Amino acid sequence: MDPLAELKQTFFQECEELLGALELKLQALDEGSSDPEDVNAAFRAIHSIKGGAGAFGCTELVGFAHVFEASLDHLRSGRVAIEDAPFTLFLRCSDAVADLVAAARNDEPATERPDLLAALEQVGKEPVAQAPAPVPEPAPVAIPAPAAAATHNDAPPGIAALGNLLAMVEAKTAAPVQPVDDGWDDEPVVVPAPAPAAEKPGRDLRLRITPENDLFRRVIEPRVVLGSLPADDVVAIRCDLSQVPSLETLDVTDCWMRFEVDLRTELSVEELHGRFDFSLANEEFEIETLESASVAEAAPPAEPAAEASEVPSSVAADLSAILAKLGPAPEAASQPEVAPAPALPPVAPAVVAPVAEAPAAIRTAPRSPANDQSARQRQAVSVRVDLDRIDKLMNLVGEIVITQSMLVECVRSLPYDVYAKTAEGILTLSRQTRELQDHVMAVRAQPVKAVFQRMPRLVRELAQTLGKEVRLVLEGENTEVDKTIIEELADPLTHMIRNSMDHGLETPDERTDAGKPREGTIKLIAEHRAGRIVISVTDDGRGINRDRLLAKARSRGLVGADEKLAPEEIDQLIFAAGLSTAEQVSDISGRGVGMDVVRRNVESLGGRISVDSEPGRGCKFTLALPLTLAVLEGMVIRCGDDRYVIPIASVIETQHLASTPIERLPFGQEVLRWRGEVTPLYRLGEVMGSTGTTNENIVIIAETERGNNVGIAVDEIVGQQQVVVKSLEANYGTVNGASAATILGDGLVALILDIDSMLRLAASGGRPPVSDLKMAG
Amino acid sequence: MTMTLQLGEKHFSSAQPEAAARRIVTFKVGDRTFGIDVGMVREIKGWQATTPLPHAAPHVRGVLNLRGVILAVYDLRTAIGMGVTDASATHVIVVVDVEDKTAGLLVDSVSDIVDVPVSAVRPAPDLERDEHGLIEGLVLLDSDIVALLDLAAVIRDGGGEAQLKTSRAA
Repeated sequence: MDPLAELKQTFFQECEELLGALELKLQALDEGSSDPEDVNAAFRAIHSIKGGAGAFGCTELVGFAHVFEASLDHLRSGRVAIEDAPFTLFLRCSDAVADLVAAARNDEPATERPDLLAALEQVGKEPVAQAPAPVPEPAPVAIPAPAAAATHNDAPPGIAALGNLLAMVEAKTAAPVQPVDDGWDDEPVVVPAPAPAAEKPGRDLRLRITPENDLFRRVIEPRVVLGSLPADDVVAIRCDLSQVPSLETLDVTDCWMRFEVDLRTELSVEELHGRFDFSLANEEFEIETLESASVAEAAPPAEPAAEASEVPSSVAADLSAILAKLGPAPEAASQPEVAPAPALPPVAPAVVAPVAEAPAAIRTAPRSPANDQSARQRQAVSVRVDLDRIDKLMNLVGEIVITQSMLVECVRSLPYDVYAKTAEGILTLSRQTRELQDHVMAVRAQPVKAVFQRMPRLVRELAQTLGKEVRLVLEGENTEVDKTIIEELADPLTHMIRNSMDHGLETPDERTDAGKPREGTIKLIAEHRAGRIVISVTDDGRGINRDRLLAKARSRGLVGADEKLAPEEIDQLIFAAGLSTAEQVSDISGRGVGMDVVRRNVESLGGRISVDSEPGRGCKFTLALPLTLAVLEGMVIRCGDDRYVIPIASVIETQHLASTPIERLPFGQEVLRWRGEVTPLYRLGEVMGSTGTTNENIVIIAETERGNNVGIAVDEIVGQQQVVVKSLEANYGTVNGASAATILGDGLVALILDIDSMLRLAASGGRPPVSDLKMAG
Repeated sequence: MTMTLQLGEKHFSSAQPEAAARRIVTFKVGDRTFGIDVGMVREIKGWQATTPLPHAAPHVRGVLNLRGVILAVYDLRTAIGMGVTDASATHVIVVVDVEDKTAGLLVDSVSDIVDVPVSAVRPAPDLERDEHGLIEGLVLLDSDIVALLDLAAVIRDGGGEAQLKTSRAA
């Protein structure tokens, strides 16, 4: 893949995340949140999408996102009160953006949404009178007032940070002599206030904005920062370019601009802080109160301005001269913060730096600043890594775990004096290995948010199609689970939610008749429980119609005509394969479309799914999944010559077989009396066809997927350890009774038992008929 | 390939090598010689204990750990209806790549690598007893008849598929 395509791919991935965030925030606002951070986050998301889209030439997307952003900006700036904002429209627009992103991704023509655009443009129209009118631009030295920037509808070529970066690259390569190209729409460096503000009431403040170098990479640009100030209050803005390194060393993704803004404002310092909340860290700006006299002095920033804007013409020829002029005066440049300069020294004064010294200073300056380091300490830096690489790491750790358990075996045979020391070392090694494993797992862990975020859209669309009113509640989105599991979760969750919406929830009228609120609620909750992740989908709909489900199951021969089932057992029929494939089921039973598929998906992940239903009150599907597919905590057991691993998660209890009363029912099925229950007993060696003598001593009480208990008789419990899960399907195929395999310390393979599959194997009497084999051939 | 094949190479004919030739690894089960394309062979290793799979087809010996990868070992003797190999340290597992899977083939010994002109491969006679189509073709090599194996058929009947079928039926 060429680098651009790769970048584009990354952009689309990010878009997905951003769209998810956008939707969540809009949803939260729609539901009555008045947290300005939600508004900011939504704005940020669409802004970043627009920025990226601009860089990749997705014009439709940019156009739409721009209008969208502009209307969100009304909210952000308070021109439109959050309570009055049309969030339904915004949500529809967020869907439209998703469509546009999808179209751009697939290189398809985008559907235009003039209706939405028109509606968006209406947002904030009425109260616009209160907004400051766009200031006539005293060209060429004015920035457009933020309000103007926000309401202009023509697609802004360079507004997005990424677009700006590209522009910067082009500018730098095409016209290297343009020394003050700050990526800021080529506007001049020093900008006096758009309108003289001397008569205004308020205090005089000076703001020093010293963004970290990664400003652009945070997809923020100076315009956004400065634009968050009330335009009317700005007296002067000065841009300090003295720290911009020479062209050879300049990384265009670094921001080296520093700003000084004089304000006359009635806003308190706290309010000003609030303005920068989303764009800058606290360390990146400081606010200083000026004596009113100094404002007068600060007001004529015209000289440096003239100085700076003259630069291009005067030095076009000699690059080194430019560099010299841009070169920082080391003291002034490196410690602008520590020296709270009395109002006067303008920030871009280094024009007279000696030509000879400057280049050296330039090269060292950008590396040295202390704030560089502090920035690193402060921010959680993240890296995008190909999952493949982490998989390899995980595999390697798995190998180490195996090698280490192999060592443990070897050491046992050593003479005691040697053994003691080695054992100690191995103990340390095993602790370290485990830690390493945990850390690698943590690298792979991701919040389930990635999947959860897709659901609001699904619910909204479905609600529209089905004519139902639905509220989706998400909880525990930050619960972390292995990345591979997350990817596999999307399908089952989609199915479950669709099922709840389609069959579980009643129409608004039916709900009113049943005395419920018109709006149905679906809760999607994730949590960690006992080393597993448990995800539940709960609806407050009509619940499972057991009569119909049972009738259907009978007619399909899944349940015998005379067979009596407990209500809970009937509910479980939802997962039966024969039931759900037929279309009529969805018509009559109310439940069941695709739930067998869901169960299969979940089982293939080593998980379990169950359902609880209360007729008339609702229904709850619960998914329990392992946290990772790569390792599991297992109990190693032996039967004759063969060893197996039972996932600890399935084991409830172990006890001596001799102390447990066994009875034999007619037809030979053995049962245990355990805790007042009759629990079927299976002899593992028999079921799995183990070789060698079997002398069962131990019974393991294990839990099945349905929550029933079974007893499994084995010869011996060898131990408990973390095992690395290895696929049997990759090179062989499905093995009845086992979900996967692992490698034990002696290098031999042991099967990882799958209790439910083992029970099915036992029920089928084990050996597949010979005729079946022939058919396969 | 971790273990090099240190076997004398024998050319099919001393005449100039033909352009279209197949390089074949031959191995023995009892007194019968079998062959597969050298390209399918990943490595050759000595017999190693396998873990049996429950209720697998008879010629599936079980699974083993090949440097962290689990693969199934198929007893060629059983596959061709000559009983079960009484595996010992001198027996050999030929690790092969078949379609997208890796598998082990348990044989008595590996004999040789030979170049065979494509034209010398005769189609297998319609063997009534070869119901699974294991034999893909025959090559006359000196006095030996080398039966070229269709590995996919050996392995398919080895149970992967059969197991899959039964599990779906279950």
